[in-house]
Parts: sequence; structure tokens; C-alpha cells
Amino acid sequence: MRETRLLILLLGLISGWSAAAAQDVVVVANRGVQISQITSDDLRDIFTGVKSRFRDGSYAVPVTLKGGPAHEVFLQHHIGESPDAFRAAWRKAVFTGQGAMLRAFDSEATLLEYVAATPGAVGYVSKLSPQDSVKSLTVLRTYKTAKTNNNGH
Amino acid sequence: MPRRIQALLLVCICTGSLFAQDLEGIQIHGFATQGFLFSSNNNYLSMKSSEGSLEWTEGAVSFIDSLAQKLRVGIQLHMYQLGELGAPNIQVDWASGDYKINDSLGFRGGKVKTAIGLFNDSQDVDAIHLWILLPQAMYPIDNKSFMLSHLGGEVYGEFARGSRAGTVLYRGYAGQANLDLTGGYVKLLAEVGLVFTTPPGGKIYGGDLRWATPLKGLMVGSSAHAQAVDGTAPAGVLHISPFLVNAEYAQFEKGKLYVAGEYRRTPVNVTLTFGPALVLIPFDQRAWFVMGSYRISEQFHLGTYYSHYVVKGTDTALPGNYSRDWVVSGRYNFNSYFYAKLEGHFLHGTGLGYYVSTNPGGLKPNSNMLAAKIGFSF
Repeated sequence: MRETRLLILLLGLISGWSAAAAQDVVVVANRGVQISQITSDDLRDIFTGVKSRFRDGSYAVPVTLKGGPAHEVFLQHHIGESPDAFRAAWRKAVFTGQGAMLRAFDSEATLLEYVAATPGAVGYVSKLSPQDSVKSLTVLRTYKTAKTNNNGH
Repeated sequence: MPRRIQALLLVCICTGSLFAQDLEGIQIHGFATQGFLFSSNNNYLSMKSSEGSLEWTEGAVSFIDSLAQKLRVGIQLHMYQLGELGAPNIQVDWASGDYKINDSLGFRGGKVKTAIGLFNDSQDVDAIHLWILLPQAMYPIDNKSFMLSHLGGEVYGEFARGSRAGTVLYRGYAGQANLDLTGGYVKLLAEVGLVFTTPPGGKIYGGDLRWATPLKGLMVGSSAHAQAVDGTAPAGVLHISPFLVNAEYAQFEKGKLYVAGEYRRTPVNVTLTFGPALVLIPFDQRAWFVMGSYRISEQFHLGTYYSHYVVKGTDTALPGNYSRDWVVSGRYNFNSYFYAKLEGHFLHGTGLGYYVSTNPGGLKPNSNMLAAKIGFSF
């Protein structure tokens, strides 16, 4: 009984940490983007190259960070992939002639600068970064379907 | 190692360090690999593998530019040496313009990758696969340059049917596919007396339909294409009337686990003409594989597969009419760019991957093999 309680407590802590980590990353977009909410399915499809437009029909320009905690949390919680698997999927698109690698930035400051200046741009930063120049998008959790790319196998 | 391949490897590595980022909007990416193969019996894939062979080098560089929101152009140059196959020519893997009207409709034109089965269009990209050799029953490495792409056009798109119906992706294509003069089929034909100086080839039409089902991680699909091949050599003529290749496949991913399977039928009727003599060779090839892999960690990945190939309508007890391969594979990523792979093969039958020129004393029915590879990708 005591072990069960400990396990429940541990699971609670882990899921609590996980949710907190997801909330520590903010999805940001150019101010010209009309939507203020985006479903997790749409976000995933845009960052994996399956979709090229937001739900309102406007063109999306997804951008990423090259690495770091915000990058890892975003991929894990919103895309459902590890950084390596994400990179492998885009490498496949590049080397099969089906896509171009997403523009990636060394720092959150340069990513924010690009998003602010580029119509349709969408990216992510940690909650602590200033987001005055961009628009924050609320991510709505939705039902996820299968991946449509064969990445890394 | 031929000098051109050395030069290409050097370009890959230098380009990686110098141009890891965009160059005035033009993206430059590439990869280079070096393999090793040792077999207990027979010489495999035209390498002297029974002595241990390093004659397995590959590299590619791609240049991609997005000219407009809907328009992207690119080219990938590729060079390989696999035993007596491949080098020294630089080949164009693909070179295409891609115009995507919306997510449901896009067009590609030029030399485009051929979509059939799970891995055909990515079989040359070693960096994204766990396996050193994909199931050879469907993705024969000695003929990949022929199967990989065709000159022509492609229409593609996807339809998201909502959370209850999943997403459907389609690709349809038509064009011309030619055999690689330095590839395996041309070498096999040379061994029976037809030495080609211009590549045999023919029209190809086909399509691929895949459904990302509502069940998370499950994707199923089907592909088919019709292909004809004709060619004239000084000693005779090759004619393969249009034949239909069909493939059915499925894959499932859950967390670190990946499983997949594919079935393919390739019924080919080959006609060889040597003066007045006509040789008819029917090949009703059936192939399938099942595979599974598990990502132990970000760096370490393990997997296994079984690949089966048989020529129906022949004496399938003869080793030359079948090939069965049990494979165990491991991959280690040193970092985002460098990786190493190790793979064991337990190969029964001699129906695939063997050449007379490298096995003049005949073939033993079974062989075990150890393959190793290091690779770099940027």
C-alpha cells in the first residue's frame, strides 16, 4: 500500500513536471497571423511539413531553434519527436527532394527578430523571453493521428 | 578509393563546416559514408567480401532554393562505389522544380524520386535509416540508382479527413526510367553477353497512396507502377514489355518502438535476342519483409528484420531462385552529424546480389555476413 502511494506520488510529480515544461515554452507567430489559437495537430503538421498553411488559409513559415531546453521541450510536447528524429525527418525530406530544411536559429532573440519581421512566421521560445514584438498562440490539445513520414527507420 | 569519390567526400565535409547554414537562401546539405563487408562464403554485391572489402563508398550534395512561397527548385549530385559498380561518374539523384498550389495539390517536374513501397524514395539516404542494407528483396542496393528516380513529373498532395478518418497522402507520376550503366542489372546483362553503351530504359507510370489512420502511429499504404525496358547492345536486344509492380505496406510507431512490413510482386518477362536466337526469361518475383526496431536511447538504436524473396514458377528449392535474409542491426549516433552502424546477415539462397565475375568458382547456398558503416550527414 505504501509502495503504491509512493508510485502515485512519483507519477504525479513526473506528469506535473511534464505539464510545467510544456507551459514553459510559448508558441509565437508574426503579428500579421490572423489566428490566436492553433490545434496541436495543426502545429505538428506545420512543423513536420505536412501542412503549409494555418487554418485561416494564410501561409505558414515555421522556424526552429538549433537546440537548447526550449527546443527539446517544444519537440517533445508539441511535435512528439526527439530532436534527432525531428532532424532525421527533415533530412529525409531534403535528400528526397520533397522539402527544404526549416530555418533554425542559434538564439531565441534572433528567432524572435525573424518571426517579428517575416509574414506567416511561427516559432517558439521559452516563457522568459520577451514577446512584445510577436503574437503568442494558444495551443489547443487535439486528437493526434499517425505520422505520415517514414523518419529514421 | 577512386579520386572522384575522395574529392566528393572532401567537398561534403568541407561544405558541412563552411555552409551548415543557408548561403544567400540556397540550402546546401550532404552526406558521405564508408562501408565494410565481410562474408563467410561467396562475394556479395560485386565486392570481394569473402576477403573483407572496403569498396563501398557513397556521397551526395544537394542544393535547394525556395524561389517563392509555392516554388522550390533543387538538385542532388550523387556518387557511389559498390565493388565493381558505381564510380566514377557523378549522377544526378534528383533535380526538380516543385510547385505546391496548396496542401492538397502540388507538382514536381524534372528528375524526381519514384514512390513505391515504404522506402524506395529514401533508400539512398543512409543517414536516416537504422539499417546498413534495407531488405534487398525490394530495395536492392546494387540497382538503387535505376529504381530511385525517373525523368518526368509527379502530382502529389494530402487530404486531412479529420480526427476520425486520418490523413490520406497521394502521389502519381509518369516519365522515363533508364538503367544505370554502372549498376547491377547492366552488369548482369553484360555477363550474359549484352554489353550496353547506352542505357536501356522505358516509360514508367505509377502512384502511391498512403493512409495515416486515426489509430495513432499506424500508417498503411499501397503503390503500383507499370514499367517497360528496351535496349540495344552490339550483341543483341533486350526487351521487357510493360509489367506491373505492386506493393502493399504498413508501419506502426509507438514511442521508441517501430514495426513495419511490406509485400511486393514484380512479374517480369524478359526477352533477349541474339541474332536469330530468342531467349525468354519469365520472372514472377514475390518479396516481403517484416522489421522491428527499438530506440534504446537518443544515441543507440537496435533492430531486426527478415526479408524473403522467391521467383515463383521456378524450382524454388534451387538456391538461385530464392533469397532469405535474417538481419540484426545496431546504430550509434556520436552526435547530430556522425554515426556508426553494425549489421549481421544470415543469408540463405543466392537469388539476389551475386555476380559471376566476382564468383567465378560458383556459389555456396548460404553465407553469413558482417557489415559496418560510418557516416556523416549535414
